Amino acid sequence: MDRLIEILEDIKPDVDYANCETLIDSHILESLDIISLIAELEDEYDITIPAIEIIPDNFNSAERMMKMIERLQEEY
Amino acid sequence: MDLSSILLAGSASAMTSFFSLTFLFLFLPACLILYAAVPKAAKKYILLAASLIFFWLVSGFLIIYLLLTVLSVFLFGKWLDKIQKQMKAELSKTEKEKRKELKQQYVSRQRKVLLLAVLLHIGLLLVLKYSGFFTQNLNSLLWLLNAPIELEIPRLFMPIGISFFTLQAVSYITDVYHGLIKADTNILRLTLFMSFFPQIVEGPICRYSQTADQLWNAEQIKYKNLTYGLQRILFGMMKKIVIADRLDPMVKAIFDTPNSYHGGIIFLGAVCYTIQLYMDFSGSMDAVMGIAEIFGIKMPENFQRPFFSISISEFWKRWHITLGTWFKDYIFYPVTSTKKMKNVTSNARKKLGNHYGPLVAGGVALFCVWFCNGLWHGSDWNYIFFGLYHFVMILTGNMVTPLASKFFKKVGLDPNCSSYKVFRIIRTALFVVIGELFFRSPGMVRGFELFGRMVSDFSFMGLNDILLKKLSIDIQDFIIIAVTLAFVFIVSLLNEKGVCVRDQIAKRNIVIRWAVFYALIMFIIIFGAYGFGYIPVDPMYANF
Repeated sequence: MDRLIEILEDIKPDVDYANCETLIDSHILESLDIISLIAELEDEYDITIPAIEIIPDNFNSAERMMKMIERLQEEY
Repeated sequence: MDLSSILLAGSASAMTSFFSLTFLFLFLPACLILYAAVPKAAKKYILLAASLIFFWLVSGFLIIYLLLTVLSVFLFGKWLDKIQKQMKAELSKTEKEKRKELKQQYVSRQRKVLLLAVLLHIGLLLVLKYSGFFTQNLNSLLWLLNAPIELEIPRLFMPIGISFFTLQAVSYITDVYHGLIKADTNILRLTLFMSFFPQIVEGPICRYSQTADQLWNAEQIKYKNLTYGLQRILFGMMKKIVIADRLDPMVKAIFDTPNSYHGGIIFLGAVCYTIQLYMDFSGSMDAVMGIAEIFGIKMPENFQRPFFSISISEFWKRWHITLGTWFKDYIFYPVTSTKKMKNVTSNARKKLGNHYGPLVAGGVALFCVWFCNGLWHGSDWNYIFFGLYHFVMILTGNMVTPLASKFFKKVGLDPNCSSYKVFRIIRTALFVVIGELFFRSPGMVRGFELFGRMVSDFSFMGLNDILLKKLSIDIQDFIIIAVTLAFVFIVSLLNEKGVCVRDQIAKRNIVIRWAVFYALIMFIIIFGAYGFGYIPVDPMYANF
């Protein structure tokens, strides 16, 4: 989780990623941030995030993102 | 004369408008009475029958397009479902190490089916909607090359709402492909999802997961839904009949003969057209939401007070939301999620940083989105220009943001202060008006002519009673429009601050509640633009 928050901080600093649960709904992370984030997450966690996973539910909080990452890692 | 002959006697436009007498006093009440009268299990069939009859009354034999589209996506859905089931069965019998490879084989098969389905449906839309435009441009090219050929411009019949239901069809099949929804096993349920009569003309563009089950599990009409729905229909009716339709003759006069007017009048025409379009489209959407609400159906909102936006980018998150979401989900992210684009983003971020890095792939995807958005709106160059204009505005906005932040820091200004916010709201509205000028213009070249005149000859000279008469509008009209707009603005402002006006009305006693109803009805009857001297105006987005 710490590494994920580091990545998020690098893309968009000054956000309380540990507690915020509306990163998408509150427009904190915009579509361009998501593009960067996906590229970073794929490199870092050796996963493929298909377009269909890009939904608010998967990106609204760091915790939700971690769950998505773990799910995609376990898929095979 | 019986009901069917009365309904049929009305022109198609008498039915496409939710505010026509035929629709409001014959079709809708008949649906509601039948819907309320039958047992719960039969309600869905009333909705389905009403939807198909509505489509047939509006588009006649062209209903065949809708039915074939439903049949086609139903079969494609089943095909994908079959492959997915085979994949699951095979995967459960396969060793873990070999699963990835096996899954890829099945995904590849599914992708081919999806591609075929998308090509078929988008292809049909392209042929029906754009073959005339392509042929016209091809003829121009041949003429430039001095080729002695002139191709005949095809005139194809287009059913109402094809641009809307095709996008729903593509979203359904794509969502099945991605496993977001299960392929429907009941073709009647799928038909109702694709054809629900309030939304077929102008949207909203719904996802299967949003409305299919709600429609199929149709509930008894509840008193609260009935009153809330009727209020919303009346509010939409006020926007459309009192404001949009009253502005129509003036907008038409200015855009039909722009050479007769100074730039200031053309600007006024563009502002009035923007208001007309917003009031027409959002008013119709209020009617759609209201009708659906009476049946207990919650549809996705298409507008969220767009003229409170502080940037063009935000504007398009609040205007025609379901179209924007469709483009984001089915074009923007799929384009940026390709392996090539992801590599571009990674490399660009290293070189250009966090802000400008993703703009490279994002820019490509944005271009695709806005080119398609422009083309979706119509088959002419001014629509394509309209799309690309917004692409440039949004991209420029993204590029300028960090520079603006630096500038504000340097001069010690707070970019979040109210005065700057108001400035940004007005600036955004102005950019929108310019876009709509091109959107309304008969062709792109004409759009540039109008824009040029607006900038080079910005004068309101000659704006007097004689000119207003020529524009089929008078001071009284302006007062009625201004008062109604002020009312819409107050309601919007309250909504923007999180106050639900309908909840507030519902809390009052019965006298006040009904007084509001009657006041709204009387206001529409007295100040609505209908009857002698007015030509009924079709819903503006019905033609897209």
